[in-house]
Amino acid sequence: MAPFAHHEGRRTFLRRLAWGASGALLAPALLQACGRGPGGGGEGADKEGADKKGADKESGELVISSFPLYIDPSRPGAPGSVERFQRDTGIRLRYGEDVNDVRQFFARIRPALAAGQTLPQDLVVLTSWMATRLIQLGWVEPLPFDRIPNARNLIPSLRNPSWDPEQRFSLPWQSGIAGIAYNFKATGRELRSIDDLFDPALKGRVSALLEMRDTMGLLMLADGKDVSRPNWSDAQPSFDRLERARRDGQIRRFTGNDYQNDLLAGNLAACIGWSGDVAQLALEQPDLRFVVPESGGILWADVMLMPKGARHPNAAARWMNWVYDPPQAARIAAAVQYISPVEGVQQILAKDPATAALANNPLMFPDPAKQQRLHVFGPLSEAEEARWDERFARITQA
Amino acid sequence: MPASPQRDRRHGGPRIHRPPSHRPRWPWLLLAPGLLWLLVLYLLPLLSLVPLSLSEPVSRFGLETVFRGRLANYQEVLQAYGPILLRSFAYASLATGLGVVLAYPLAWTIRFRGGRWQPLLMGLVVLPSLTSFLVRAIAWTSLLADQGPLLQLLRSLGLIAPLEALGVLHDGRLLNTASAVILGLTTNLLPFLVLPLVVAMQRIDPVLLEAADDLHAGALRRFTQVVWPLSRPGLAAGILLSLIPAAGDVVNPRFLGGPNNQMIANSIDNLLLVQLQAPRAAALTLVLMALISVAVLLQLRRGLDELPLP
Repeated sequence: MAPFAHHEGRRTFLRRLAWGASGALLAPALLQACGRGPGGGGEGADKEGADKKGADKESGELVISSFPLYIDPSRPGAPGSVERFQRDTGIRLRYGEDVNDVRQFFARIRPALAAGQTLPQDLVVLTSWMATRLIQLGWVEPLPFDRIPNARNLIPSLRNPSWDPEQRFSLPWQSGIAGIAYNFKATGRELRSIDDLFDPALKGRVSALLEMRDTMGLLMLADGKDVSRPNWSDAQPSFDRLERARRDGQIRRFTGNDYQNDLLAGNLAACIGWSGDVAQLALEQPDLRFVVPESGGILWADVMLMPKGARHPNAAARWMNWVYDPPQAARIAAAVQYISPVEGVQQILAKDPATAALANNPLMFPDPAKQQRLHVFGPLSEAEEARWDERFARITQA
Repeated sequence: MPASPQRDRRHGGPRIHRPPSHRPRWPWLLLAPGLLWLLVLYLLPLLSLVPLSLSEPVSRFGLETVFRGRLANYQEVLQAYGPILLRSFAYASLATGLGVVLAYPLAWTIRFRGGRWQPLLMGLVVLPSLTSFLVRAIAWTSLLADQGPLLQLLRSLGLIAPLEALGVLHDGRLLNTASAVILGLTTNLLPFLVLPLVVAMQRIDPVLLEAADDLHAGALRRFTQVVWPLSRPGLAAGILLSLIPAAGDVVNPRFLGGPNNQMIANSIDNLLLVQLQAPRAAALTLVLMALISVAVLLQLRRGLDELPLP
């Protein structure tokens, strides 16, 4: 296993992301029409499912949609997780990296799910707030936890999130922290708090995330508010602050993943960013640092969900059980460098000299003191979310 | 304007030589595929936006909308996005104006100094358009970056402060400012201004310029009294071709602008894909279409008799 060999891939990913974003921007309808990735196999799987209706044995292949480069890839002499899983279980797996943007992916699956049709995917990996939406809409199946014994390895801090309190519908894939990323050379000092982002000395060289829960969550924590039960009136001071900062030009941009390019190019001195990214970028640009603000960081999770009517629940359960086996999870963690949701990964990484350094990475394994400062953004009702989304959109995009 | 003086001029003016009854009908047959194309792929979808823009979504994530005759959609989007509409037309107009200033010398050089290189020079004007405008916008982000080549040049020339005073630079930067958006728009529309201008100037007989020279007209008078009036048909066409796409551009503001420089197409995109408010997105789209149509009509009214009609 070569954990650092993956970095090249991350760079390529950034570039690909730019092009991918471009493509998506140009022709969302086209993308939808083509139904690339796992979707392409949809018809075949559909037919097989219909033919063997009532049969106990699942036929066809397991179909998963996830974010790009979010798993250890196969290398010469070192098969990746997808390959090893197929070898271990004999299950055919079509693993698609076709979730480039959560909102666009939602736009893609919405027509089928709203019409009560089955998606080709048996599992999708999406950000937790989108999981919340799908759970509230009743568009996902409960996970067959009786067939996922390894789910007991789920780390305590990610158990029973407020939006899936009984842990019925979701199982985390990876998790990470939204906090402050900054270029020490550009700021000339260490940053510690969200207030530092509003320092006039950094005017026009700060960005925030378009991911509302991360940006608003961090600002609300700085105001001393409880983000586990987000409340409209609690959020107003933070919204106002963000709006002022945008109007005054303090905030240069609101970004998705593209903040990484701006950080590397030196357009940004500081920004709201994600832990795993910064861990990767720091290898390229040693002045980059990531800090969990004094007032607390936002702990987010991308989770596995089973869309309504998924055809291969047993195979999906085997997959989830397999990736929750600590040795397998350790390989994934070493490649993607986010917080692994699986207990025991740290010990496994520590034993291997090639990965021992990662075991001490506080962004992958936050110590208890740090974990106390991490907060999960709570659920918003449909009506509430619409109101939040609208205000946030007016601030960030208008 | 059913009985516009424009039409009267066209039909009664000296340009019309043939009485209408002599016109053959077959040109309509040739037009039919084009008209059908416009009808099915343009007009019908556009018209379908009208009922949608007066509807309400049944649920937030469902696909159905229900027609309620809800005019409030228009009121709401005008209220919320009025300033951004104004901004969009301001940016588009500035970019077009800047484009005209750049296009005239270019077209002039190609026409009167190009000689046998003329086709090559025309090709060079079009060349950037062969790459996707998206790729160009992304390329601009590197060129305009804070540590990028352009700003370093400006810095070494000591031009940062003067340009900041002029409002071109903000906080010593170009990327993610209005200037960058307008710059991006200008580069996109430049070929659409240059080409019609070159074509219009082709019809200017160089003898006219020589005559003006003989009459002791300076360069300025040669331009204002010969080139300008004779090239205006090309200019009118060029402005139409550039103003419309510029006003509806989504890419330049997204990549080159900041949150204070987004244009109306970004708002529509956001309403539709992020806020999932298809009816309001439809209303805003129709408002934009209506405003552009008005601008086009005004331009046509002013420039119809300048356009090179048969």
